[in-house]
Amino acid sequence: MPSTQTPPIAGTAIDPPGVRPAIDDAAIEVVTPAELRARLVALKNEGYTMLLDLGAVDYLGRTPRFDVVYHLLKMPLRAASVAQLATPARLRVRCETPDGVHLPTVSDLWKAADWAEREVFDLFGIVFDGHPDLRRIQMPHDWEGHPLRKDYPLRGPARERSPRPAFALKSNVQAGVPPSGRTLEALQAQIKSHAVDDPKDPGLTGGESR
Amino acid sequence: MSLSTTPLTPEIVSQEGNSMVLSMGPQHPSTHGVLQIMLEIDGESVVKAEPEIGYLHTGIEKNMENLFWSQAQTNAERMDYLAPSSNALCYVLAVEKLLGITNDIPDRAKHIRVLNMELTRIASHCVWLGTHGIDLGAISVFFYCFDLRENILDLQEAAGGARMHPNYMRVGGVNGDLPQGYLERLDALIAKFPGRLKELRGLLQANPIFQDRTIDVGILSVEDAVQWGVTGPSLRGSGVAYDVRKAFPYSGYDEYEFDIPTRTEGDAYARFLVRLDEMEESLRIVVRAREKLRKPGPFSIDDAKIVAPPKETIVLSMEALIHHFKIVSEGFRVPPGDVYQSVEGPRGELGYYLVSNGENRPYRVRTRPASMYNLQALKTLAPGNFIADLVVMIGSLDPVFGEVDR
Repeated sequence: MPSTQTPPIAGTAIDPPGVRPAIDDAAIEVVTPAELRARLVALKNEGYTMLLDLGAVDYLGRTPRFDVVYHLLKMPLRAASVAQLATPARLRVRCETPDGVHLPTVSDLWKAADWAEREVFDLFGIVFDGHPDLRRIQMPHDWEGHPLRKDYPLRGPARERSPRPAFALKSNVQAGVPPSGRTLEALQAQIKSHAVDDPKDPGLTGGESR
Repeated sequence: MSLSTTPLTPEIVSQEGNSMVLSMGPQHPSTHGVLQIMLEIDGESVVKAEPEIGYLHTGIEKNMENLFWSQAQTNAERMDYLAPSSNALCYVLAVEKLLGITNDIPDRAKHIRVLNMELTRIASHCVWLGTHGIDLGAISVFFYCFDLRENILDLQEAAGGARMHPNYMRVGGVNGDLPQGYLERLDALIAKFPGRLKELRGLLQANPIFQDRTIDVGILSVEDAVQWGVTGPSLRGSGVAYDVRKAFPYSGYDEYEFDIPTRTEGDAYARFLVRLDEMEESLRIVVRAREKLRKPGPFSIDDAKIVAPPKETIVLSMEALIHHFKIVSEGFRVPPGDVYQSVEGPRGELGYYLVSNGENRPYRVRTRPASMYNLQALKTLAPGNFIADLVVMIGSLDPVFGEVDR
């Protein structure tokens, strides 16, 4: 669901991984959705036995919009001691995925991807073709929208309809910008209309724990 | 989209023959939180198990995107609420990598962090052992374990100010130096611990009932464990000596001597033994860290752009006042980039994948939840076993639902 909130929640990012400082945490590869499956199959055959994690990032405003990030670990299966294990290699595969493009599942290569892919589908709306059981996992099954998308409002679309004033919504206050632009009269009018709109929502008068 | 509206019904698991479908949880006491398992059972034995999670989903990752870097850390602590310091440390290490100050962290801060990591590991294993015992009908273990854990929580409170979520780790070091009398209380704990662990072993390890319930139950093969992404004691119980502290040392762990206990049986009893041995190794590290902490020194980096200057100085120095105000009102900024950092939490590899866009808030925080990946293995473990054994398996995988659901 598109948000009416401006500016988008928690700022924008064009391509942070492209300008990252030199950090020695893992080898990095960038692939396109078309070559993803073949590359991951090859990596598994190379000895990347464990899929550590699978997550996504929404770079709203960038094309392609999403990054689906695979963290792999190259580790011998029979390694009963630290010496045998040595230092496993870490690899990060970033798949730059446009909005609406389906990705092939890897849950047949690494079973660990089962819930991880369901979570990415649930929270970002990226569909994995071939997944045996692609259902929502964290959100209720009848939920609408995908909450970790950047255009999804923090408090949810239902409460979006009765917005809090700009100064009360942290994500609307950019760093260094004084919260202003609202007059006392406008606020009072809003409180009044607010109370009529939704008597259950305490809005400005309290109820929000933070 | 039809995929997203599939309701949660018993039809999720197929119904054939004499089997029936049973929903275990989410309020079942032995599911350690809010785990629901849709079970297809044939008499007493499980044909298929489909865990359903998400009952504790609170959108922590989304919330973190809307908080300052330092505020987000308090949310990180609330994921794995039994080991808050390990979450906080992992997050803090990741932020420090992005800031490029990893090598500037003072030695004393590193040792205090290691000390807290190991104490929190012992406390977490205490909860696991106590509840695992209760699941199997051994009530008294619970009280011994929680007594020991209470001592550790007292130390956490002394250092950080809160029992459960001390928020003691900070970007750049720790919140403050160890308080007066802390090391003496730590000494008392170190003196008490070996005897108490011996008692716990005496209660369970050679107990024939406990052995009957755990030996050869929930056998997780190496291949399955690696396939499901199982890490931590559960993986080491299956025979892989993968420990982040040794494989990718962080926060000065390479200066410490300790062993990685492993077993090859892969059953619930092996995981039990691995965790008990791990508690002993943790104590070794605690003793060593305590020795290193004799030497005084700075507990935090000296960079007023990242760490707020001490409160006392703000009445003496205009600059300190300004820095304090800036840090409180708008936090600090982190250079753009992405980073993956992991630590060995009590449940396995706990990782954070952070993306920064150069602002004072994280752009994206992705957690690698060790519990979630461990719990998935239940799908392989459960079929063919009794429902009563399912309780043992859940207990031996030690999931924490704050972390599974986030």
